Amino acid sequence: MSALSGSVSRGRRALGVCAVAMAALLGATSCGVAQGETSTILDADTLRIGVKANQPGLGLEVGEGRFEGFDVDVATYVAKELGFSEDDIEWQAVTSDQREKALVDGDVDMIAATYSITPTRKTEVTFAGAYYVAHQDVLVRADENAVDNVRDLKGRNLCQEAGSNSGARVRDGLGVAAKVTEAETYADCIKELAAGDTDAVSTDDLILAGFLGEDPDAFRFVNAPFTDENYGIGLAKGDLGGCEAANKAITKMYQDGTAADLLKKWFGKTDLNVRTSVPQFEGCS
Amino acid sequence: MSTDLTPPPGAPGAPRDPAVNGGGAVAADDRDSGLPAERGRAMRLLSRTLRPDSTPARVRAMTLAAITAIALLFATVAVIYTHARDGLQVIGHDAGPQVVATADLYFALSDMDAQVANVLLIGEESSLGLGRAESLDLYEQRRSEANNAMLQAAQLAGSDPTQQKTVQETLDGMGRYERLASEALQLSEQNDYRPGSPPAPVLKKYREATELMRLEVLPKAYNLTLDNASIVRTTYETERTWVLGGAAAIGLTGIIAVLLLTRLHVYLARAFRRRLNPAIAAAIVGTTLVTLGAAGVSYYEAQNMQRAKEEGFDSVLAVSRARAIGMGIHGDQSRFLLDPRRADTYQQVYLDSSQSILFVDVDNLNAYYSKVDKGIADYENGDIPPIGDENRMLGFLGEQERSGDIAGQPEALDDVMASYQTYQESDRKMRGLVSDGDRRDAIALRMGANDGEVRGEFDRYDKSLEELYTLHRGAFDSAIESGDRWITGWAVGIPVTAVIIAGLVLAGVRPRLAEYR
Repeated sequence: MSALSGSVSRGRRALGVCAVAMAALLGATSCGVAQGETSTILDADTLRIGVKANQPGLGLEVGEGRFEGFDVDVATYVAKELGFSEDDIEWQAVTSDQREKALVDGDVDMIAATYSITPTRKTEVTFAGAYYVAHQDVLVRADENAVDNVRDLKGRNLCQEAGSNSGARVRDGLGVAAKVTEAETYADCIKELAAGDTDAVSTDDLILAGFLGEDPDAFRFVNAPFTDENYGIGLAKGDLGGCEAANKAITKMYQDGTAADLLKKWFGKTDLNVRTSVPQFEGCS
Repeated sequence: MSTDLTPPPGAPGAPRDPAVNGGGAVAADDRDSGLPAERGRAMRLLSRTLRPDSTPARVRAMTLAAITAIALLFATVAVIYTHARDGLQVIGHDAGPQVVATADLYFALSDMDAQVANVLLIGEESSLGLGRAESLDLYEQRRSEANNAMLQAAQLAGSDPTQQKTVQETLDGMGRYERLASEALQLSEQNDYRPGSPPAPVLKKYREATELMRLEVLPKAYNLTLDNASIVRTTYETERTWVLGGAAAIGLTGIIAVLLLTRLHVYLARAFRRRLNPAIAAAIVGTTLVTLGAAGVSYYEAQNMQRAKEEGFDSVLAVSRARAIGMGIHGDQSRFLLDPRRADTYQQVYLDSSQSILFVDVDNLNAYYSKVDKGIADYENGDIPPIGDENRMLGFLGEQERSGDIAGQPEALDDVMASYQTYQESDRKMRGLVSDGDRRDAIALRMGANDGEVRGEFDRYDKSLEELYTLHRGAFDSAIESGDRWITGWAVGIPVTAVIIAGLVLAGVRPRLAEYR
């Protein structure tokens, strides 16, 4: 009988091996698919989004963990298109110089914080978008009569945030001999401008429009847009699936009129010339 | 293989164990049970297959197991074959080439706008540079190319509503652009003016046209290509993982089939005292060859897909995008000369777009020229820092690798770099003339096709990019072609071989079973 029982158990073993083979076949492919999409936000249950905390109109902290602004609304729209409800989103404040590190270290999953796409940043971050193209412009007091275009800044004080190169762009890029001064933040530059301590503030028009929106009668744009600042949505480097899905969401946001509504909601009170057609994307890489 | 030929119990020549039913007892049992003969026979066969308690029953069970394993092997091969075929089809024949075709849309649209700017720029000197008539012919040609690319884009959009809408909006935008452009051209024809001094109404109309083109139509055209490229990427990643995983699965199922066949062979040899069963031995050899061959082909197909995607498709697309953006900056040079009031903006756009072609970390054009000079000199000396190094040039050209796998590619890339530098040099000269107040000479330099003149240098640069394009396109086509060749072989080979091997197994087993009848 030993031969009999041996044959049965061998039969069972063969059956077992077949099962393993099937599992290997299915397993190889299912784990393979997961491998192709190296940890994408599309598979996450919750989403930690980094936004600015001190940029009125774009990202402003209005309570514990609560933020508002254009960037916040854009990120919310994109997150929803990616399958996240508002309850799945956890907002985090980031400053400009924390952005790459926060993504590289995995402290946040996504960043929408006046984050310009540049080739250098692209070596560390995958960018969806641009979702808006801002331009550097100049803000002066509403009653300023002497500054009509950017060339009139010659010999005048121009305030920039510490570490920014917006002043250099006016001085070296456009060859306008303005006197560049620095304040700690752009909010401080705006205070100086209101108090008459500086003559002009230059940075992205969307950022300036955010400040202007708080007090539309106090300042005006010189309306000399130069440079393109492509605001992108930062994702962990290599999350191409998440990036492509976010691009699709941005396209839809412009097609269904949400982008135009949001631009109006946040900057409608200012004389900013907003563009309501979808910007050129960078391409996910 | 075992050489111990002691017959197992129940085999012919072994002492009969009365507790074990031999094959010859079947008919007697059926009569005893009183069941209809056929049905009883079938029931017995089935129960004996499931609980093998005699030699023929064991042979049947082992044969069934071996045939099942062979079937599983071929089913696996068939599944992997389907994935390899689908992957190659999408990347090489459907979406892949169509995506590349949509990249031409941006190029064609950019050139349309550039040609309009050229015609408006030269004014009454209608033979300056390419000349009015030839520029307008080129405009028509580009329009037809753009329409053709739009057809591909519309096909790719399929039933995706977001993409369909983008295609629709792009078409609408093109229509509006053509109307505005022809109005501007008409106004320019009605007013004779010296090169570079178009009257205000001409400029006003052109501003409307170019703004529509550059800020609304071109971004959408560009995004269409990107969105479609994602079809190729996801297909590639999914199918390639299937095919790579398939190579392992084929190996595993193949080993099982060979083991089960070997076990059958050993059992037959021991039970029937024959060292070799030629048919089953042939089946073992055949299955081994199929396993090795199919796993090898899967691996090879995965590599073909990778070559087609990474060295072919990705580079073809990157070069196409670089060409398209290049056409844009060439147009920006004309717009810079055409519209002095917006010259600052056009110059900035020129710099920004140049940065996306070849990036060096500067924020004004003069610094750009000198840093590009230095970067390309370093490049030519073989000093190419890795990506991540602050001195590494980036952008489409900066990130292209000199690929030793494609014959002639490193030299072609070197040519592109060198001609890009000469082109930027001619731009510097042109803007220098404008700063010195020599607008007329600057326009002549922009329009001239000789060495050192802007159009001539641009054409040379663009031609060098085309060479690079052709090389990568060749790598793409040859990877797809060699992938296809194996696929065609598989389509016939798999079912035929499966039937032959199964036939061999049965042919090897049948005569032995017949000994029991």
